[in-house]
Amino acid sequence: MTLIPVLTVPLVWTLTNVIHNLVMYLFLHTVKGTPFETPDQGKARLLTHWEQMDYGIQFTSSRKFLTISPIVLYILASFYTKYDATHFLVNTGSLLSVLLPKLPQFHGVRIFGINRY
Amino acid sequence: MAWVEVPGQEKVLKPLLNTVIILGLIKCANFSPQAPAYHLILEGILILWIVRLLFSKTYKLQERSDLTEKEKEDLIEEWQPEPLVPPVSKDHPSMNYDIVSGPPSHNIVVNGKQCINFASFNFLGLLDNERVKQKALASLKKYGVGTCGPRGFYGTFDVHLELEDRLAKFMRTEEAIIYSYGFATIASAIPAYSKRGDIVFVDEAACFSIQKGLQASRSFIKYFKHNDMEDLERLLKEQEIEDQKNPRKARVTRRFVVVEGLYINTADVCPLPALVKLKYKYKVRIFLEESMSFGVLGEHGRGVTEHFGVNIDDIDLISANMENAVASIGGFCCGRSFVIDHQRLSGQGYCFSASLPPMLAAAAIEALNIMEEDPDIFSVLREKCEQVHKALQGTPGMKVLGESYAPALHLQLESSSGSRETDVRMLRRIVDYCLEKQIALTLARYLDKEERFLPPPSIRVVVTVEQTKEDIDRAASCIREAALSILK
Repeated sequence: MTLIPVLTVPLVWTLTNVIHNLVMYLFLHTVKGTPFETPDQGKARLLTHWEQMDYGIQFTSSRKFLTISPIVLYILASFYTKYDATHFLVNTGSLLSVLLPKLPQFHGVRIFGINRY
Repeated sequence: MAWVEVPGQEKVLKPLLNTVIILGLIKCANFSPQAPAYHLILEGILILWIVRLLFSKTYKLQERSDLTEKEKEDLIEEWQPEPLVPPVSKDHPSMNYDIVSGPPSHNIVVNGKQCINFASFNFLGLLDNERVKQKALASLKKYGVGTCGPRGFYGTFDVHLELEDRLAKFMRTEEAIIYSYGFATIASAIPAYSKRGDIVFVDEAACFSIQKGLQASRSFIKYFKHNDMEDLERLLKEQEIEDQKNPRKARVTRRFVVVEGLYINTADVCPLPALVKLKYKYKVRIFLEESMSFGVLGEHGRGVTEHFGVNIDDIDLISANMENAVASIGGFCCGRSFVIDHQRLSGQGYCFSASLPPMLAAAAIEALNIMEEDPDIFSVLREKCEQVHKALQGTPGMKVLGESYAPALHLQLESSSGSRETDVRMLRRIVDYCLEKQIALTLARYLDKEERFLPPPSIRVVVTVEQTKEDIDRAASCIREAALSILK
C-alpha cells in the first residue's frame, strides 16, 4: 500500500476509521426490522439492529465490545495521523456519529423524524 | 429508575481491562510532545469512558414504578387468589349437555331419543353419504388414522396435495392451503399478514375465530356496525385523513377488511359488491370468511363471490372451514399464489399443528366430487331454506333472523325479559319441548365473557337437503306450539 504515493500512512488510517464507522452506522443504526419473518408479530419492525440487540438490554457484553472497538480504532488512528488538525476533525466527527446512537438515552430516538418509519 | 440487573458479564471484564491497560502503556511509551493538549484531554475522556463502560452493569429500560417496597409488600399481603374454577349454579347450561349417540345425521339420537336433526351444520347431507364413507374407509385402510406430524415434518401426504389442488380448481383461484382445524384457519391466516401497526376494519358480528385471529395479530382493530357500509366508509375516510397527515407512516401500514360471507351469528350476507368498490377506492385488502357460505351459496356452491357475481381475484383471501357443508374436518384458504404461499411458512396452524388426517382429506375430496357432479343440490337446499324461512314466520313471541336463503337461521325472542339468563332459560325450555316431540334444535352458544359483541340469545335452526316437507312442517308446528305454551 505504501507504494502508491497517494495512500500515505495517515490517510490510510483515517480512511480505515471513517469507513469502519460508516459501515457500522449503516448496519447498526440505519437499517430497521428483520430480513426474515419473526414470530413477534412485527415488534421489531421499526427498531434498528442496535436497538434490537439482546432484546433492548443495555450494556451487555456484545454492546460493550461494539462500543469500545471504534474508540480503540480512533485512538490508533489519531496516533498514526500524528494528531494533525484536519485528520483530527474528520476522525472525531466519525467517532461521534457512531458513539452517540449507542448511548441508552438515544434508544428509539429518531432526530428530525429521519428514519422513523 | 428501576434497573433490572441481568446476571454476569463479569468474565469479559478482565481481558478487556488488560487490553486497555496495555494500550495505555503503549501510548505512554510512544508519547510524542507534538500531541496537542485538547487531543490528550479528549483521549483521557475516552479512556475514562471505556473504563466506565467496562464496569457498568446491564439493565433493561423499564418504566418507573412509583411503589415503595413497603407498598409492594402490602399489596402482596392483601391479594386473595380467585378460585381456579369459579362456582357455578347446578342448572348452568354447560353442566347439562345433551348426549348424542351415533352419527349426527338426519336422524340423530339425542339423550336416547331419536329425533330429526335441525341442529347440525350438515347442509348438503354429506355426513352420512355412502360414497364419502367408502372413500374414507379405503383411505383409512391405506394410510391409517393420523399423520403424526405437521406439514413440514413428513406430514404431507398425496391426498393433502390433491385436496389443495381440487379446492383451488373448484374455487377458480391459483392456490389453496389446508389447515387441520376449522377454528384455527382464519385465526392463523389473519396474524400471518397483519402485524403490529397494521389496521384491520372488521364487522361487529364477526365470529369468535376471527376475533381470536385479530387478537393474535396485535394490530389496530376498528369495528364497524354490522353490514353498515356507510359506517365502514366513515372509518375509512377518517383513516385517510390520518394518512394524509403522516404519509411516511401510511406507506408502511397495511390495511385490511375482514368480513364473513354468511355470518354465523346473524345469518345474513355481507354486501360484497359495495365492499369491493370500497376496496379499490380506499386501497384496503379484503379477507372473506366463507365457512357458512361455501357449498351453500352460488350456482355451483362456490360461495358468496359466485352468489354476487364478483370476480374472485378481487378478494385477496378466502378462508373457509370444511366442517359445515363439506362434512369433513379442517379448513382451507384460497387466493392468489403469492398470498397463499406466504402462509406455508407463517401460518401458525399450518406449520406447528399436525396435518389433516388423510381419511378426512379423502372424504373432503369425495364431497367435492359430489358437489361438482350434482350442482342441483344447491338449488334444492335454497328451496328448502325458503320453505323453512316461510314456515317459521309468525311464530308467536319470536322473530326469525336471517336471509331467506341462509341455511342456519336464528330464532330470537321478540321482546327480551331484561336478563340474559332468563332469556336463555326460556329458549332452553322451548328446545326441551321440541326434543320431547323429537325435533332436535340447539341454542346458539357463546363464550359469554370472551365475546366482543355478544349476540342476543337465540335458537339456531339448520336446514339440510335431507329434510322433507313433512319434517319441515312438523318442526315449524312444534316450535309454534312450544312458543305458544312457554312464551305466553
